[in-house]
Amino acid sequence: MKKLVALLLCLMMLPILPAVAETAEMLVVYASVPADWSWPCVWAWSSDGTNAFASWPGDLMEPDPANEGWYYIYLPSGMESVIINANDGSVQTDEIKIDKQSAWIKVAEDKTFSVFFEALTTGEAPAYTERFTVYAQVDATWENPGIWAWEDPSGKNAFAAWPGRAMKPNENGWFSAKVPAWCNCIIINANAGSVQTIDIKDLDPADLWITVNADASFEITYDDPTALKAADITVFAKVPEDWENPCLWAWEHPSGTNVFVSWPGEALTAGEDGWYAITVPGWINSVIINAKEGSIQTADLRVDAGKDLYVTVVSAEDAAVTYEKPVE
Amino acid sequence: MRSSPAFHYHTFLEESIMRKALCLLMVFILFLLTGCTGNPDNQGGKSGPVTITIWHDKEAAVIAVLEEAVKALEPEIVVMFEKKAGMTESLKLVGNDKNAAPDMYFFAHDKIGVYAEMGILTPVTDLLGDDALAGYLPLTVKGGTYKGKIYQVPLYFETLLFMYNKKYMAEKDIPATTEQLYAYMQRKTKYGHYGFVEQHSTPYYAAGWIHGFGGSLITDDGVPCLDCAEVKSALTYHKKFVEYMPGETEYATVNTLFTEGMAHATIAGPWFVPTVRAVGIDVGIAPMPIVDETGLPLAPYSGIQGLHVLKVQAQQKKNVILQVLRTLMRPEVSVKLAKVSGCAPAVESCYTLDEVTNDSLIMAMRHTAETAIPMPNIPEMDVMWTVTGNLLTNVNMSGQDVDSAAKAAQKKVLELIEAMK
Repeated sequence: MKKLVALLLCLMMLPILPAVAETAEMLVVYASVPADWSWPCVWAWSSDGTNAFASWPGDLMEPDPANEGWYYIYLPSGMESVIINANDGSVQTDEIKIDKQSAWIKVAEDKTFSVFFEALTTGEAPAYTERFTVYAQVDATWENPGIWAWEDPSGKNAFAAWPGRAMKPNENGWFSAKVPAWCNCIIINANAGSVQTIDIKDLDPADLWITVNADASFEITYDDPTALKAADITVFAKVPEDWENPCLWAWEHPSGTNVFVSWPGEALTAGEDGWYAITVPGWINSVIINAKEGSIQTADLRVDAGKDLYVTVVSAEDAAVTYEKPVE
Repeated sequence: MRSSPAFHYHTFLEESIMRKALCLLMVFILFLLTGCTGNPDNQGGKSGPVTITIWHDKEAAVIAVLEEAVKALEPEIVVMFEKKAGMTESLKLVGNDKNAAPDMYFFAHDKIGVYAEMGILTPVTDLLGDDALAGYLPLTVKGGTYKGKIYQVPLYFETLLFMYNKKYMAEKDIPATTEQLYAYMQRKTKYGHYGFVEQHSTPYYAAGWIHGFGGSLITDDGVPCLDCAEVKSALTYHKKFVEYMPGETEYATVNTLFTEGMAHATIAGPWFVPTVRAVGIDVGIAPMPIVDETGLPLAPYSGIQGLHVLKVQAQQKKNVILQVLRTLMRPEVSVKLAKVSGCAPAVESCYTLDEVTNDSLIMAMRHTAETAIPMPNIPEMDVMWTVTGNLLTNVNMSGQDVDSAAKAAQKKVLELIEAMK
């Protein structure tokens, strides 16, 4: 009877076994690199042209606290080749074939490498976790900034000991560090942990930018402040004669950030040539021309950000946008 | 009539030829008659298959399910699905024209009142019998009912759903009540992220809040309620939520905020889910929060998609139309339609099938169907959308006082309804 039950259990498990193998969606790549290779990264791809990361030099490797000198990173299981690089991509290996397997790579001073498919490290690799990036811009007196991260309320820490993970300096003056997605609290510190922000709590697991002042006060945003900002633009509008007191309503899509506090927006100024005009921030990409205190209006008009534009309104349903003054 | 004198000179031979010709003529007439009586729903006396034309506005995948189902009726009945741009206006123009009107149309239920008043629709119960929709969800039958008559065979329905990004909103944070939602928004709306976003100044979305206060935009018999106490309470209460949302909340903005990971939760239709999943967001669906003050959940409008029969064609093709309807009413068709449309079946028995009960999205809609309100199908609703939209803009975006804005909106809508009459 026991044998029968065992056989039945085995049969029941048969369809499960391959499923377990198929759901293993990640592989791990370890690397040890020369001492002057700072902030090692991995660039990875498969033979069908799929890249693991959006742009060179790829993603930052994590130091394994249990295996000094070794860095690791998890990659999608279909990856067949990697390049280990460092110093913002300025040094790198040639292509290293890993054939969709977890691998241990030793990089020598001359950039040659040896690949092993059996573990050269001790113990299990740290469990895979999604990460987000914290970017910090700190006061000049804050040297070698670091980040401390944890989960509230459990108190589980991301890093072994204070002051936590050193942040990587970047060319644009911002420092960056990866944090496990389960963390919802951080502290930015510097000078070997002797200066620090207060606990910054209840954060989302999303890339964020924090500017820290000398007095440890700070501002945070999830919107990349380093992205290029557009200069002011002028919106010109020509409206039907019965559209009295035309106004502009403008906003940025998709954030929904409005230029004006309340509808119907700001009045356009009449020009001598029959065109009304108003100057607004160049980041807007959506406008509505309205009149008669907002009782008549165009549809939402999507426009290119950062460009002067001309809106010719024929009726509420018929409005055209051009970026050159229309010939009349 | 005067006889020709020549008639008396017919020979026997002539009479014989005449008789044969007469016989041939009679046989020919008999042949034609036989052709006619062989199919009572023939078109203009032609023999062969009967064609049923169904206008629609749906995507190809939905129509493919219907086409597959009606293949069983061939060759006697051929059903042509015709995607019609501007269908609702076309029906107004040709709905009574036997030569131009389709036999049926496949669309949402909300135009039924207009067409019923125009006299271009036949109650489906006249064809199918009074109990034909007994196995359908009450919500879906109610949607197709106008002045006590049922004008739609419902196929599937959709409701708005409370969606959240599992990466941001933990299960313990899913708001059971609107006050919990508000607290969450206060806590999480910062640094450029939003705890919750919705199209707060769009009537279709705001209606859920109004229903949650026991109000409605318009009564079943067409009396607008924009200045009713319940509506004003809802607008006043809802305004504090608006303060934690972006100023501009048109459709694309709200959806993009959610798909780009800038908003934790939203209220959107099931059609949004494939887009969300395509960008890799692990989306959760939760019951609508309950309004603390009333104990009622936010109750969104529901759209019920189904088949409507044109009166001008029903008289002549009754039996064939009946066969087509019965074919498309089979539960398995409803399930397939739900799968490809991302909506929920109208037939109650579908909810015992594993492929339906295992689909969390469909089951969430089934759950919401208990409290959702079918979009009003009365003609007066046509003018409600614009006036209500302006009211919401005035209150939520221009900072107008709720009482005066509601009073002005009620006055405006009454004028428009009067003008419509």
